[in-house]
Amino acid sequence: MSRPGISRTVLAVYLLTVAGTVIWLAAIFLAPVLAGRGSAGAARLIYAAFSPICHQVPGRCFTFHGHPLAVCGRCLGIYLGFSAGLVLYPFVRGFSKLELPSSRVFLLLTLPMAVDGAAGILRIWASPMRVRFVTGVVWGTILPFFFVTGLADLRLAKRKRAAARTLEKIRVNNVE
Amino acid sequence: MNQQKPEYFRPALIAGAIAGVLSGLPFVSAGNCLCCLWIVGGAALAVNLLAKNTAGILTSGDGAIVGALTGIVAAVVDTLMSIPLRPFNMELARRVMGKVSEFGYDMPSNLDGFLDGGSGVMSPGWFLLGLFLSAAVFTVVGVLGGIIGVSLFAKKKPQAAPPSTTQGSGDAV
Repeated sequence: MSRPGISRTVLAVYLLTVAGTVIWLAAIFLAPVLAGRGSAGAARLIYAAFSPICHQVPGRCFTFHGHPLAVCGRCLGIYLGFSAGLVLYPFVRGFSKLELPSSRVFLLLTLPMAVDGAAGILRIWASPMRVRFVTGVVWGTILPFFFVTGLADLRLAKRKRAAARTLEKIRVNNVE
Repeated sequence: MNQQKPEYFRPALIAGAIAGVLSGLPFVSAGNCLCCLWIVGGAALAVNLLAKNTAGILTSGDGAIVGALTGIVAAVVDTLMSIPLRPFNMELARRVMGKVSEFGYDMPSNLDGFLDGGSGVMSPGWFLLGLFLSAAVFTVVGVLGGIIGVSLFAKKKPQAAPPSTTQGSGDAV
């Protein structure tokens, strides 16, 4: 799908997503640094922010400055994969079109993590942290291609509706 | 793009309530530790419901909106459920940490104090802060889930004529 003004919108959403990702990753690494420096309250706040979406079991987290990161190895892999996907985005997709990745590609990249995660839950095997990390990276890489496209599409749709409303007002005024 | 807005709220309310309950239940909530399964799945379910009730073709922007609403509803339901279940969750966390420490992992020295403190009544400030943090995180994840849901469940546009402008090699992804 190609529409006028699309490049600037996608670029703006892309840059905002990059900024958000940098802050998100910085927070993950900041929590153990703060905990190591004795700022327990601030560290706890960051750990609490990530707790709804990660178990944060210390044995399953990489450590930094002697303390566990704010998320587990698999989640860290997802976020670093997301960052890698953002780096790839301009080369793979460019900023001039809005198209979601195919569902087949998404399911294919989800498969390793789904199999590994399900096997862990069902106690078929306990994969080492590096496997959890890598499967997370693989899945995370596809996600910016959904996220940036979807938000850019939303922004363009809002602009289009606003332009349609303005045109309608002008038409009504002219008729009157 | 449809000029008429689809009805976002109802599917978001249903799917968000389901995702929130699953995220709040002890043991079951562990699903969120697998790439936020309940929130991403809830947002995708909302898109599925929206697609069934919408005549037109849903865009990824529609998925983002319904996903964000689903995340907010799930955060509210999850936070409300956490009030009565808080002592139970803290006891569960204590047992999990005990099991983990049996494997030789060092636990933070103030963990017992934290868990003891958490067993009591939550202050309104902490409650609101928790709600805000959950809502922020679940909204971002919900947006992602909604857009993925569009890719999986929404009706596809009929094949258009060959494009007049040449584009990059985006089809590879």
